[in-house]
Amino acid sequence: MVIHIRTRRMNTVTGSVRSLLLFCLLGGGFSGWAEEGSVATALASTTVSGQIDTSSGQERIQLGFDPVPATEEYQVQFAPALDGIFAPLASATNGFQWTGPVGTDAAGFYRVVPRQLSTNELWATTLLYRVAYGPTPDEEERVRQLGPEAYLAEQLNAESVPETLDTVDATPRWQRVTVTGLGSSSRLYLYLDGPGDVYLDDLRLVVGTSDDGSRPNLLRNGGFETALGTDWNLSPNLIGSARSSQLVRSGNASLHLISTEGGETQGSSIYQVITPSLNAAQTYTLSYWYLTSGQGARLTLRLSGSGIVSTHGLSGDANSPAPLFSKLKSGTATRADLRAWHVLRAIQSPKQLHEVLRQFFENHFVTQVSKTQDYFDGRGYDTPDPEYLSVRTEFVENVRWRDALLKPQVTFLDLLTISAESPAMIVYLDTVTSRGDGNNVANENYARELCELFCFGVDNGYDQQDIVQISRAWTGWRLDILDPANEFNPLAARSTNYLNPNATGTGLNANTNVLGVWGLRYRADRHNSRAKYLFYNWDAKGNRLDSKKVPARFGPPWAGREYGKILPARTGSAGLQDGYDILAHMANQPFTQEYLSVKLCRLLVHDGFAHGYDFADGTTTPEEELVRSCMLAWENAKPQGQLRPVLQVIFNSELFRNHDASLQKARTPLEFAVGTIRALRARKADGTYTAETDGYSVYNFMNRAGRMRLFDRAEPDGYPEDAPGWISAGTLAERLRFVQSALMPAGMEGKSDAGASTRVDVLGLLQSKLGSAALQDPVRVTDYLLATLFPAEGQANLQAYREVALQFLNTADDGVTASPFANLSPGGTAHDQRLRGLVGLLMSTQRFQEQ
Amino acid sequence: MNILSRRSFLSHSTKLGLGAALASLTDIPFVMQRALAEGTIGQPGPNGRVRKLLFLFLRGANDGLNSVIPLADPAYLTSRPNLALTADPLQPVARIGPAFYPEVGSVAGTYSHPYALPLGNGFAALHPSLKFLAPLYNSGDLALVHRVGYPKQSRSHFDSQAYWETGAPADSGVKDGLLYRAMIESGLANTSPLTAVSIGSSLPLILRGSKAAMTNISDPTRYSLLSIPNTVPGNSKAAAALAAANAARFADKRERDLLELQYKNLSETLQLFAQLKFDETDNTFRDDVATDGDTDWANANGGGYYLFPTTAEKNGGWRRTSGNRADKYVVPTSAHEFFERLKAASIILNNTDALVAGVSIDGWDTHSDQVDPKNDTTGQGSHTGSHAGLLRRVGWSLYALQKYFTRYANKCRWDDLAVVTLSEFGRTTIENSDAGTDHAEASVMWVAGGNVKGFEPGSSGGVKRTGVWNCGGDGDRVLPWVTGPTGSMFRAGDRYLQRNTDYRSVLGKIIRDHLGASPEQLNRIIPGYTQAGESLQRGGVQSKDNTPIIGEPDVI
Repeated sequence: MVIHIRTRRMNTVTGSVRSLLLFCLLGGGFSGWAEEGSVATALASTTVSGQIDTSSGQERIQLGFDPVPATEEYQVQFAPALDGIFAPLASATNGFQWTGPVGTDAAGFYRVVPRQLSTNELWATTLLYRVAYGPTPDEEERVRQLGPEAYLAEQLNAESVPETLDTVDATPRWQRVTVTGLGSSSRLYLYLDGPGDVYLDDLRLVVGTSDDGSRPNLLRNGGFETALGTDWNLSPNLIGSARSSQLVRSGNASLHLISTEGGETQGSSIYQVITPSLNAAQTYTLSYWYLTSGQGARLTLRLSGSGIVSTHGLSGDANSPAPLFSKLKSGTATRADLRAWHVLRAIQSPKQLHEVLRQFFENHFVTQVSKTQDYFDGRGYDTPDPEYLSVRTEFVENVRWRDALLKPQVTFLDLLTISAESPAMIVYLDTVTSRGDGNNVANENYARELCELFCFGVDNGYDQQDIVQISRAWTGWRLDILDPANEFNPLAARSTNYLNPNATGTGLNANTNVLGVWGLRYRADRHNSRAKYLFYNWDAKGNRLDSKKVPARFGPPWAGREYGKILPARTGSAGLQDGYDILAHMANQPFTQEYLSVKLCRLLVHDGFAHGYDFADGTTTPEEELVRSCMLAWENAKPQGQLRPVLQVIFNSELFRNHDASLQKARTPLEFAVGTIRALRARKADGTYTAETDGYSVYNFMNRAGRMRLFDRAEPDGYPEDAPGWISAGTLAERLRFVQSALMPAGMEGKSDAGASTRVDVLGLLQSKLGSAALQDPVRVTDYLLATLFPAEGQANLQAYREVALQFLNTADDGVTASPFANLSPGGTAHDQRLRGLVGLLMSTQRFQEQ
Repeated sequence: MNILSRRSFLSHSTKLGLGAALASLTDIPFVMQRALAEGTIGQPGPNGRVRKLLFLFLRGANDGLNSVIPLADPAYLTSRPNLALTADPLQPVARIGPAFYPEVGSVAGTYSHPYALPLGNGFAALHPSLKFLAPLYNSGDLALVHRVGYPKQSRSHFDSQAYWETGAPADSGVKDGLLYRAMIESGLANTSPLTAVSIGSSLPLILRGSKAAMTNISDPTRYSLLSIPNTVPGNSKAAAALAAANAARFADKRERDLLELQYKNLSETLQLFAQLKFDETDNTFRDDVATDGDTDWANANGGGYYLFPTTAEKNGGWRRTSGNRADKYVVPTSAHEFFERLKAASIILNNTDALVAGVSIDGWDTHSDQVDPKNDTTGQGSHTGSHAGLLRRVGWSLYALQKYFTRYANKCRWDDLAVVTLSEFGRTTIENSDAGTDHAEASVMWVAGGNVKGFEPGSSGGVKRTGVWNCGGDGDRVLPWVTGPTGSMFRAGDRYLQRNTDYRSVLGKIIRDHLGASPEQLNRIIPGYTQAGESLQRGGVQSKDNTPIIGEPDVI
């Protein structure tokens, strides 16, 4: 891409400032002197201006030009004549301006040559934003080495990516934990949140943001080498705790913490009063080792108040989703557990595309867990908790989608069927009580959204008659308690396993006395058993005419196809087949192909794809063309409707690989929160990560920043994908609060916004990526952060951010006083907060909202 | 030729002095916009104050037939055997009485007056959950416009909401919002930091557009920023750095204009809202009139019911000396968040230059449980259940707004305000097997305010105007009651109440005669408003579907 400017001295100008020679190039609207007509296209989005500036007492030429996407460097070149040879001048470093001396022969031609990211570099960054929940420092490096093609192949074949996130590692091992925060108090508490036990050893508390072993331990008897005595005080619920010489990390003893009930404060903890007292404004680092186990209790070590706090499970990975997965499987998980599991997997899973797609389909086949809970609430439940029962319905459908998406030939019908059979959906769209027997008017809720939102798209190939016909098929689809072996057998009878087999009367068969799982159970006596006529035309008197045909706008191979479908009258259990026949019939119609292709393109490319393209009118756009290619891939796969060929088409398309996809979308709250953690999450040498969250607190943010209540949306259209659905002043305020809070050290006012367990170790990140020598170098720190946080922007386009960042690093907290970053010592509070403030700032910018 | 984005237009026009003569007002430099605007939107009237609008969006499609009930229609009972209500036996035909109606049962949290409240025109009645509308109705501050819709009604929530919001049914070419355009026409959209505001999870389409940012506040009590360190100087250092970063230029991308506008709006409104009192402790607005006959509670607490029930303690007569009485709630406890937002909207309208404020009430998609089987002890239809709880929000909202803007407001008073409800469509006339109703066509709009023409008594004791449109008989002198082809509002034989008024006629009337748009402006705010075939202004046959409509109802 080339930008031209013609300069010509204008002698008529007088005065101290001579401004002249403005050739402002807007689009292709110029002619006459540009060398090639084709250049006009390249100029379409750029403007150049120039003037002679004499303010410094010396004539200098100034060029200004518009930014070009993904530019790493802008090079200014000069030629005395258009057909001459352009020779490079010094690069433009001051944003989008260049200043140079006016030569003796001032008339001439300047051009600005942007050096953009290579096609593969750009493709790689877009993949990290779309295939994944944003780049991590480690993934950026890995994908750069691997190349975009290999990365894409890896992610598309998720089943071949090793991943054990949901597996609890049962082998006990010593695990180190490090946590940094303010010295809010001089009392340190140790406790579990329930009954259980754990071994702890080598507790250290030091000044600063890290512990390399050189600074003195402020705790007494942190290795438990001597009697607990008055160093460690045992509250009654922990009175059985003792030193152990059996299992030790170092030395001769460890602490065996034994809890009979959960602790939360000094009176229910093992505690030490630290002397001399800590300084509330000072940053400290606590580190300790614990022996991992498969127990469900969570361990907390914290200072009184809101300073240093460390809370985690005992599995060995402080924020492993594995214990949550166990809880979900056993049917004892809350909504908060489900969401935390979802968020942790989104952050941590190496199968990123798999997570992105599961979220997409969970949202496409949206349900509302609170409505399911109300349903169970009204059915006699107290124990088990109706919340557990409703969460289980969400968990089961998500596990089924996950398993399906790991099959290379997974089809849309597979996923649609899982949704239709899910108790969550059956309750959500009111199928559960809908009746078609006798004079009952069937509930149209599911039928309408099956057409409008799950398959065809609004007003696309169906009308009210079809909704009425389809609604009659989804009658008798009820829920009941089934023997677990029959969970997915809709024709099985209600379970006859009883909690108390000797209960009498109605007590025996009461919901709370029947053991099993809630699942789809077909009730033939509630079903509309008459014949159903789908996708036919009808006259005003209600007489059936001919089949509907695929409209001409679809073009070949679809246009003109008849897609009417007659379901015969069916009685008894055969009536269940009505629903399955409809799903199979609708799943691969061109309307479904179109609707899902557009949605996937909006998810993966940009929001500007429309429904209802006329594929037959002889005109097209790249967007329309891509949708049609997706539909053809869907149509021609055997079996039809496979997802992976469609995804291949999108990810390999020109649109996806060039600037039309890069940074063209705003992040949803989920993408923003997960992307924030991932952007700073590098693996350190000791196996821990530089950014962590327990997953729970992210929900508060998502709820505040646009009410993204995962698994609990009231409206059946799912959460929006487009930017205006999420971006407003109010939600931006929440986004800014979240990143600032996430970057805060524990104990700072406002930390609760992102949650105390959301932890970022900026120093650790820089240390592992830049090495210790760079930690006081504001330029290297800034350049690394800009490149890591904005890898697709082009480093030359970030000059303004660079200047703001350097200014920020070299200014004291008052925003006025000069305070060179180089003078702050790494590990100290000032250095720590300056760095955190900078990262918080960069993540508060407009550009970090994009992907 | 590339079309200039606003960002690039600004940068070029200031840097290079490009004076482009482009089509719409937004492309004229901001300083000149107000001067060039026609009409009087946003201009102080003779009383020195500015006319304003508050909209309540009932998302999910309100069952209008269970709101303003066509009680005397012979098909009503047979179409809705489980949902139907009967007339209050105490006042079976009389004009609506005071806001106190006797309750039956004492189911916690459920208002259970089981009878419809006749509106005095011999035909229509209010759902009992709307009993608090009585004072507004009787003082002539409430208009009820039934059978509102648009041609070729979409029964998709999302399409239909979009049509209501863009003001252009079935025209996908109109992408920006109707009230956004009204704000652009005011000439203030880019000079005043605040023209229209919504309190909710996202900026609704009705306020969206590409040339200026309307404001959405998610939670007014949290509308401030944090920084590291989170101290006063730390915050100002971070704010200055962010402002500098926000001034940076970048290559054009799809969402960058939107982000720039909304970031700008954020920075401009932070200070503005910081001065308003949104905290719970400042929610002291009360009604000293004995509400719901409950003088006991008002006296005991020396102040009366709270206008904005944001907590259980502020919800009706919950707190009284004789112990907590959950059955005296004026709204379900699930409505507290909504009233938090309504309170914020009211405070903003009264204390800032905002011309329009909006809040949504979600959950109107009542496919099931319009009768609550657990709480319906009387067998009296839909006075309990999901829909009843939603209507209570509407009833109490309008009641509270009248009180707030009369008693507590000075910059915007009740006479300056019009409140209007929006809802994408109505629901089937015939109930389904789940005691619910499915997607259908026409529904009802509430219009309230001191400037609204509602009920008006006749000179000789009769009724000059009932304040009920399209659902009334003998008392309705202004507009004829128009029935469906079979003589029934229900058009027995199908399930769809046919519209008789276009929603755009109601909004058009308000935007022109209340907010002050000129006829030409209104034509731009609601595209095609004066086109003959649309019949929006004077009524006639709407050419798109050959349906007769009445044009503008005379509500202002």
